[in-house]
Parts: sequence; C-alpha cells; structure tokens
Amino acid sequence: MKKMLPKIAASVALCSALVTASSAADVIKIGVQAPITGKYANEGQSIDNGVRLVVDQVNAKGGVLGKKIEVVSCDDEGTAQKAAICARKLVNEGVMAVIGSYTSGATEAAQTTYYRSGVLQTSDGTSDSLTKHKYWTFFRNSFQNSAQADFTAKYLVKEKGYKRIAVLSDYSSYAVGLADSVVASIKAEGGNTIYQGKIKSGTQNFTAVLTKIKSMDPDAIYFSGYYTDGGLLRAQQIQLGIKADFIGGDSNDNPDFMKLAGASAKGTLLVNFPTPDFLPYDTAKQFLKDYNDKYGMAPASVWALMNIDGLKAILYAAEQTKSLDTKTISDYLHTLKDFPGITGPVSFREDGERINTKFNVYEVQADNSYKIINN
Amino acid sequence: MDIFLQQLVNGLTIGSLYALVALGYTMVYGVMKLINFAHGDLVALSAFVGLTIYTQVFGEGITSLIAVITVFMFTAAVIAVVGVLLERLAYRPLRTAPRLSAVVSALGAGLVIQNAIMLIWGPNMMIFPSNLFPSTIWNFNGIVITFTQLMILGLSSVLMVGLYFFINRTKMGTAIRATAIDQDAAKLMGINVNKIIMIIFIIGSSLGAVAGLFIGIYYRGVTFDMGWMYGLNAFVAAIIGGIGNIPGAMFGGLMLGLFNALISGYISSSWAETFTFVLLIVVLIFRPTGILGEKVAEKV
Repeated sequence: MKKMLPKIAASVALCSALVTASSAADVIKIGVQAPITGKYANEGQSIDNGVRLVVDQVNAKGGVLGKKIEVVSCDDEGTAQKAAICARKLVNEGVMAVIGSYTSGATEAAQTTYYRSGVLQTSDGTSDSLTKHKYWTFFRNSFQNSAQADFTAKYLVKEKGYKRIAVLSDYSSYAVGLADSVVASIKAEGGNTIYQGKIKSGTQNFTAVLTKIKSMDPDAIYFSGYYTDGGLLRAQQIQLGIKADFIGGDSNDNPDFMKLAGASAKGTLLVNFPTPDFLPYDTAKQFLKDYNDKYGMAPASVWALMNIDGLKAILYAAEQTKSLDTKTISDYLHTLKDFPGITGPVSFREDGERINTKFNVYEVQADNSYKIINN
Repeated sequence: MDIFLQQLVNGLTIGSLYALVALGYTMVYGVMKLINFAHGDLVALSAFVGLTIYTQVFGEGITSLIAVITVFMFTAAVIAVVGVLLERLAYRPLRTAPRLSAVVSALGAGLVIQNAIMLIWGPNMMIFPSNLFPSTIWNFNGIVITFTQLMILGLSSVLMVGLYFFINRTKMGTAIRATAIDQDAAKLMGINVNKIIMIIFIIGSSLGAVAGLFIGIYYRGVTFDMGWMYGLNAFVAAIIGGIGNIPGAMFGGLMLGLFNALISGYISSSWAETFTFVLLIVVLIFRPTGILGEKVAEKV
C-alpha cells in the first residue's frame, strides 16, 4: 500500500500536467500584477481594467495567432512582499507575459522571478534600477527617473529661477531615486537645495517636517512621492502658511491628489509625461472613449495607458514573429521602432528601456483642470 | 521660538488623537487584561460610517453645526454597538480561555473588520468633504492653528476630563475600577461584570469613533487599512503611559505626539518612528509598568 502512494501521486501530477498542457495550447495567458487594493487602488484597477478592455477587443477579432487571450490578475497591494507572492503565482499559472506593476518597488521585487522563468514583463515603474540587470524579459513602458529629474531641475532652476528648493520623498525605491536624481540635477544646473528629507508614506501627519521646512524659508517644495501623500502635503503646506510653490513629481498626477488637497490644490505644479487628455494621438482618443464606455469613467492617469502600450507591443511582436516563444518576442521587441502606441511611438533600447523624453509641467487650476505652462 | 511652539501645536493635535484611541486599549486591558487589537480597525470603521451618514443623510455641500453633531453622535452610537458585538462574539466565549486565545481572536476580529470595510466601501481611498468644519486659520505671530485642530484639542480634552471624572467620581466608575482590580470580588459585591465590560466597550469604542471622525475631517483621506497605523501608535502610547491606567493613556498619547513632532522637527522625520520605539524600549526597561504605572499594583 505504501508503495502505491507515490504512483498515485505521480499519475495525479501527470493528469494535471496534461490538463494544463492542453489548456495552454489553446489560450494565451497574460498576467496583470497591479495594486488592485490598497493606497494605489485606483491606479491598479485602471491597469487591470485597461488590460481586460484591450484583451476583449483582441479576442473579439479572433485573438492572437488564432488563440484567445486569458487575463490572470494578481493584487500586489503596491508592496514588495505581495509582489513576490504574485510573481510565483502568475508563473505557476503559466502566463506568457505580465503587465505591471504600478510601483517600482513591487515591480523590482517580482522582476527576477519572471526573468528566471522566462516570462516577459512590462511595467510603468520609473526607478533607474529597474533596468540595471538588463534582464531580457523586462521592458519599461514609461521613462527613467533620471530623464524626468533632468527636465525638472532645468525647469526649477532655469525657467522658474527658484533659489531655495526643499526636496521631499517617501521611502519607496522610486521616490528616493527620483529625489536623489533631482537633487543631483539641481546641483548640476547650479541651483540650491536647502533641504532634502523623507516622509513615511501613509502617516498622514506631515506638519512636523513641513514646519521644519518653513523655518528654512524655501521658495519651492518638490515632492517625488505618490499622490496620497502629495495631496496631504500640499494641504498642510497651505494650512501652515508656507509661501512656496509646490511641485509634484509624476506620481502626483492623480485625481485623488486634488481631492485630498481640496481648495489648496490650486496653483500646484505637476511634472509628468502628457496626461491622457493631452495625448494628441487618435489611438489614445479611441482608447479613452472605449474605456469610458465600458467602465463609465476615465483611467486614473497616464500610467494605465503606458502599461497598455506594453501589452500592445508584446501582442504585436507575437503576431509579427508568429511565435509565442518569449525569447523570440523579446528579441523582436528590442529592435522595435516607433510602434504606434497610445502614449506615442514605442521603441525599446537594448536594455529594455523605452526611448522617450517628452515631459510637461501642468499648473492645477481652480477647477482642478490642468494647464500646460512649459514652453 | 515660534517654530518650537508650532511643533507643539502639531504634536498636541496628533497626540490627542492617539490619546483618544489609546483610551480604548487601556480601558479594555484594565478590566479584561486583553489587548483589543481590533480597536484600531474600529477607528477606521468609524471614519467610513461617519462619511456614509454624512453623505446619505445630509448630502455633500451641506454644512451646519447640527449636521456635524448628528454625524458624531450617530457614528459613536454605531461604533459602540459594533464594539459591544465584538466583545460578545469574539471575546466573551474566550473569557476563561488562556489569554493567548483571546489575543489571537482579537487579531482575527481586526482582520474581519478591516476586510468588511474593504468589501462594503471598496479598496479605494475615500475622501471627506473639506467643508465639514470652517476652514478658519488663526495666525499668532507665525504660529498657525486651524479650526479643526482647535476642535480636536478642545473636544478630546473635554472627553478625557469627563472620562476621568466619570471613572473616579461616579458610582458606575467605582464599579468599573472595582472590576478592574478583581472581577470575582466585584461579582461577590453585587457588581454585574458583564454589564461593566459592555460599558467599557461602549465608552472605548465611542472615543475611538470620535478619533476616527477627526482623522477623516483633518486628514481627509481614509483607507480601509489605516486602522493598523493608528492602532499601533495608540497601543505604544498606552504602554508608555502605563497600560490599564486611564490618565496614563492620555499622557502617553499626548507625549507620543509631541515626541514625534519634536524628533521630526529637530532631528529628522526619517528617525521619528525609530525614536518612538527606542522610547518604548527605554520606558519598558526603566519603568516596565509605564510612566504613570500599570494599575495591577492595586491587586495586592
């Protein structure tokens, strides 16, 4: 009897292997790793919704290489711990590619698992470190922090002429990286950073650090973290009567920033890639319309759209190479030039970096709409 | 100097919120010797209940004193009921069980409440309207205080002083203190211990509800998982002040708030949390029963 057990186990394993093999044959599985709950839930849900919308559209046209696409979502809550669990789960599900995640920290925590399993990954994370391993599986569908930092510093020092800049970040690898790059770029531009500090994301009470900054009399406060903290920082800055301009990094571009800041949102400057409304491309307008028709609202920000471009590029590469082999697709993507994406032409460098450098500065108006104020 | 005073205002505001939450921990511990880990999640729940009452009954945009008072009263009542239910379902069946079982039950109950909030209100951040309180700001020689801050400081002081007199000067308060010292002896003296415990949960949960509403009104954004952070800080405050000791919880909360603000202001905000726990360790080494002392000493 004892000897029977391994045999039963083996046959069960064989059966289940056959089942997965047969199901893998007629569908292509695409994973979504995103913060579907938690602080960044509206970003994560936009990514998940966007991917499902595109997949439905592709499936309606017969799928890719004659196969239907199936979406498997995993909620990483924007944390590295959950991201590592998601990575294993999605690999075990047998996905070909993973779209996400939203935060650089969660992306980085999952990256190696996908690389070892030969699963493609495309993320909007902007942390410079995401491409340092040069994994052939990883593609950044947004831009690098250092590119944004150069633009930001030039704008703050040269265009605005700020003399006393305070720089704040949270503890995420993305925000720290961006803040460090901005401080370095400000120095390179000949500007003056009077304070660089960190806040703990989610603690809500930032009056202590803002009071300290107030005593240094800054003319600009730059925050590289996320909108949930940025909105509160701006509100508490105004409450404390600190007369400085508030400049938010790309992750402050979210409707919740305006809601949290309330009346204080007016006059905030945000640095980001063109926001969905300002994208000049027909594909973008069509996508936003479809998204709105299906979900009754607009995607939270441009990040969801960047991730959609990553998905579209991967599906396009599969079509072009007539292959579902991730290495073949990856090789093709590395040479991709000007694929017409929603957020503009998509081209990848050898290290998986998207070639792109366009940024805007937006000023938040009284009705919370954006006005482009650079050049 | 004005920077220092501003940090005092900052610290006292967050400190009185911690104190209100810490009272819930300390009262339950005093009577039941149980750390009610679900308390922080009750605080989070109150913010969501309050926001729903406000938007459903009054609708966005309407602000009056009556609306605010009604929201506070109703939310406190709802959370008090939840607190009593929590005790009935999660703690009473385990009252004679080893203490660890009750703590595990408390952690589980906290997760249930947290996930219930997520399922009912969704995982997104919800945002309080900005006009619940007038946005008046006073500026005394560079020291800024807002109407909301004043309300937080004022109302929590009134509640804490009221609680102090209730516990020390009324018959019911005496019964609560007697139950805290020895449940069996209290029972022999004709005190209905179950009723006392129910009252403890009503008071503790209502104070937590007030704190939760203030968090929503002051910081505006509320998430289903925010209870953990406030719960942890308040728990630390209760221990620093001496768990089981009511003035201790008030003192611990205010002290923790001030300490955090001063560390953030004069050393570095990156170190604020580290110093909080260093403070906790120092207090536990030199005064294991907290600064004002745990009430168990009376148990001789």
